Amino acid sequence: MHDAIYLLAAVLLPYLGAVVAALLPANARLLAWLAGCVALATLAMVGLGFAAIEAGGLPRFDLAWAPELGLSFSLRMDGFAGLFAFMVSGIGVLIVLYARYYMSPEDPIPRFFAFLLAFMGSMMGVVLSGNLIQLVFFWELTSLFSFLLIGYWQNVAAARNGARMALTVTAGGGLALFAGVLILGHIVGSYELDAVLASGEAIRAHPLYLPALVLILLGAMTKSAQFPFHFWLPHAMAAPTPVSAYLHSATLVKAGIFLMARLWPVLAGTDAWFNILCPVGLITLLLGAYVAIFQHDMKALLAYSTISHLGLITLLLSLNSDLAMVAAVFHTVNHATFKASLFMAAGIIDHETGTRDIRRLSGLNESMPFTARLALVAAAAMAGVPLLNGFISKEMFFSEALTVATATSVLHGILPVAATLASILAVTYSLRFIHGAFFGPPVDDLPKQPHEPPQFMRVPVEVLVFLCIVVGILPSATIGPLLDKAVRALLGDATPSYSLAVWHGFNLPLAMSLVALAGGIALYRLLYRHLNAGLEGTPLLGFLDGRRAFEQVMVFISWRFARALVRLMATDRLQIQLMLMVCTALLAATLALLPHGLAAGDVALTAVDPVVAIIWAVGGACAIAAAYQAKYHRLAALVLLGSTGLATCLTFIWFSAPDLALTQLLVEIVTTVLLLLGLRWMPRRIETAGSGAPLARLRRLRDFVIAAVSGLGLAAISYAMMTRVSPDGISREFLTRAYKEGGGTNVVNVILVDFRGFDTMGEITVLGVVALTVFALLRRFRPAPESVGVPDQQQGDARDWLLVPSVTMRLLFPVIIAVSIYLLLRGHDQPGGGFIAGLMLAVGILVQYMAGGTRWVEDHLRVLPLRWMGFGLLLAVGTGVAATVFGRPFLTSYFAYADLGPLGKLPLASAVIFDLGVFALVFGATVLILIVLAHQSVRSQRAAPPPPPVEALREPAIAGED
Amino acid sequence: MIPAAAELPWIVVIPVCLLLLAGSGLTLIGAFGLLRLNSFYARVHAPTLGTSYGMGCILLASMLFFSVLQTRLVIHELAIGAFVILTTPVTLMLVARAAIHRDRLEGKDAIPRAARPD
Repeated sequence: MHDAIYLLAAVLLPYLGAVVAALLPANARLLAWLAGCVALATLAMVGLGFAAIEAGGLPRFDLAWAPELGLSFSLRMDGFAGLFAFMVSGIGVLIVLYARYYMSPEDPIPRFFAFLLAFMGSMMGVVLSGNLIQLVFFWELTSLFSFLLIGYWQNVAAARNGARMALTVTAGGGLALFAGVLILGHIVGSYELDAVLASGEAIRAHPLYLPALVLILLGAMTKSAQFPFHFWLPHAMAAPTPVSAYLHSATLVKAGIFLMARLWPVLAGTDAWFNILCPVGLITLLLGAYVAIFQHDMKALLAYSTISHLGLITLLLSLNSDLAMVAAVFHTVNHATFKASLFMAAGIIDHETGTRDIRRLSGLNESMPFTARLALVAAAAMAGVPLLNGFISKEMFFSEALTVATATSVLHGILPVAATLASILAVTYSLRFIHGAFFGPPVDDLPKQPHEPPQFMRVPVEVLVFLCIVVGILPSATIGPLLDKAVRALLGDATPSYSLAVWHGFNLPLAMSLVALAGGIALYRLLYRHLNAGLEGTPLLGFLDGRRAFEQVMVFISWRFARALVRLMATDRLQIQLMLMVCTALLAATLALLPHGLAAGDVALTAVDPVVAIIWAVGGACAIAAAYQAKYHRLAALVLLGSTGLATCLTFIWFSAPDLALTQLLVEIVTTVLLLLGLRWMPRRIETAGSGAPLARLRRLRDFVIAAVSGLGLAAISYAMMTRVSPDGISREFLTRAYKEGGGTNVVNVILVDFRGFDTMGEITVLGVVALTVFALLRRFRPAPESVGVPDQQQGDARDWLLVPSVTMRLLFPVIIAVSIYLLLRGHDQPGGGFIAGLMLAVGILVQYMAGGTRWVEDHLRVLPLRWMGFGLLLAVGTGVAATVFGRPFLTSYFAYADLGPLGKLPLASAVIFDLGVFALVFGATVLILIVLAHQSVRSQRAAPPPPPVEALREPAIAGED
Repeated sequence: MIPAAAELPWIVVIPVCLLLLAGSGLTLIGAFGLLRLNSFYARVHAPTLGTSYGMGCILLASMLFFSVLQTRLVIHELAIGAFVILTTPVTLMLVARAAIHRDRLEGKDAIPRAARPD
């Protein structure tokens, strides 16, 4: 239980902080305090975890989530996860402190800290996940929040594009990772990390190993910016510098490394692992280092250097050697410290001088000496200068490269050379970073007069640089225990003995380091003139433009491919869509019926009642007539349709279904009125004698046949169904239980609000969505050009003619309200209920709009349909949730009788409150549609723009077609 | 309910039947009028037979029948009557005015000009 608290806190605290930060006012000091405290608290939680590991335990926390699917929410922290959690939270604290001084007061600060904390929580989730599915979930969350952070300056196009690119690449890789994890889970039979880590042999021997490996590596490589997916990282530099420092040193890009190392014990050790990762890591290492030299933007230089270092770590991981694994973990930590401090130093320079361009900067050593010293040390660590942490891990890299070079393959053989070359390049770009900005003659044409930053802005850099030095001088006393736990968590008993000493005597790796240092200095001198010439682009590699390739792919997928697909598969003509749908249904029904045939059942029929027969005959005739008139006489068709609805309604009454009849009646009224309001915007259509070419007639005949066959077929199926004895369903159960368990005598209503309350909730949600959709569509509605003008019916003067009706309807309004409330309250026991009552009240408003006109009604009565809808939905959900508070399943209803003394007993059911929610939502949704339709007539209309030129592919429109 | 109706005393049954016949007969005449009369303005008047006296008779019959059947006073038909009397004339008036409006716009001769000069 103790474990559970701090593990959960380590993941949830940042999220909680994010929510609070988002709600706070824009006060940088307050927000930084909040974020700093949250990050510190998270760090403390990680510390508690380490204490538990120290005691020999494995802190973990499991919460069954969907156990039948083998999914659980589980957090676990071994030494390796702990090391990463320590980096994420520790550097997080420093970043918050730095951002406090970096961010300008004009920026929306709450958003920044909210995203930063949420990102931190996601990273903690990734590293502490004990379940692979959960890991992927947090993985995608990091993509999402990094997208928001990179695009923080929304008004800058580069930030938006960079954010979108990062999201596309990393989230796309996340999908591949998800697929890979699913395969892995399939192989192992469990998604629990422990189970997966325990079955390495089985995984490597499985035929699905290769697909799983490729997919998982795709996820890791996109996240860790490995060639050829590296291009998003430099573009992500449009983010604020604290974000870059955080994302690209310790967190986002390290997630890929984390994943590869996490699964290293089960996935590595095969040729496939080496053959995929080694070339990728090697190319990334060299390419990143080479391109970094030629960057003029300090952050871009650091970005490419990050790519190069990530390549180095990937390369180490690919070597299938335990010692290389140790070096990889070690270098990950070292890179996080010196790269974070370098990014922050670059940010300080940008902040205090107004530019990051190395060509413009010079001689800052004089104006900001302290920052210069810090940057110098950090850059030296990056270059691998002795007595700094970068040196030790680089030495380990060299000795590993030399060890594997004894193998026969060419790839192995070139490793030492490539490693030395990469180090030479690293020294060169580190020199350029330092020499370009801090040395040389001071310049005075900078946007701002350079000076030292505020003291506390420098503190994070100081801390990190101090760590670089301490780890560099006393590695085994400082990072040693931490590293040991991390490596032991990964390798277990197979952990090799390794030495973290600075001095290993004169050996080949040391010679390689010296060669790299000397070579780097020489190369910088050689390139000095070229670099200062200020040319853009990278020599020899100018043709490699990741961004352009990415954009071309995006354009292809999202534009050309999508358009081609739409051209091939879609139509914007409603008739064809409907025809296809009806034909498909017809075909499906026919295929289903073919083997068995369709025969009437053997239930004895009652005698035909002449009254029902007449009602049905009239209703059917009206329906056919409505279809016949629909094209040219819409009003008549609408009236006939209403009559059909009335016939249905009467049928319901005849068969003793008052609830249905009431609902049907009200729905008919509302639908008819709303359709009437809509008719005004339909373009006029005039019937001409002998309309249509023979082709059109043929088409109409075809449609008629389809319609008739479908309709008659449906009738036949219904008849066959209804003439059979229905199997003993649950309806009898409803009848017996309605009063006993639902507390209502109106079974229909009890089913709606209690037995099937969940269905009802879904339905009202859909209703709300539909209303909002209609609202959204009509808000930008543009009528056809010919219906813009005032229609004939509204010409002339007839204003006063509505006086008598409007007075009458106004008088009726309170009556309608009273009836509506009456229907609502009695709904649980007698015909009525929330749906009917909501429609009733909507009819009341409808009548007012019709009689008084939109302006008059809205001057006197503001209905706020959106609030009604929101209130209704909240009420319905709230009633459902309230049941869970009492330990019952969602939407359980409760009922009791209130004793009102002489007035008798009043039945009270919580379902009535749910019904009130239904009432409010139905009312709000109906009125919302009414109001948008009504407003069409009030606002001035603009005609729709003329249709775009007819595309060549589209067949010419047939005369008389709708 | 239908078996119970057979046991009602003839002194109730006969007035109920007569009222029902009268009400439905009036409504039927109104319906015929709607079908047969010549102009729209004449036709508008026909259904009022059904919605006034016709409806009144049927509602009276209903009140009588159910009051005796349930041995209590059943008068909620009065509310139906009130609403129908309130709404039907208004509706018909609206329809008629719409027709006049349209005919005036189309310039038909048989329609009087606007009563008030605008």
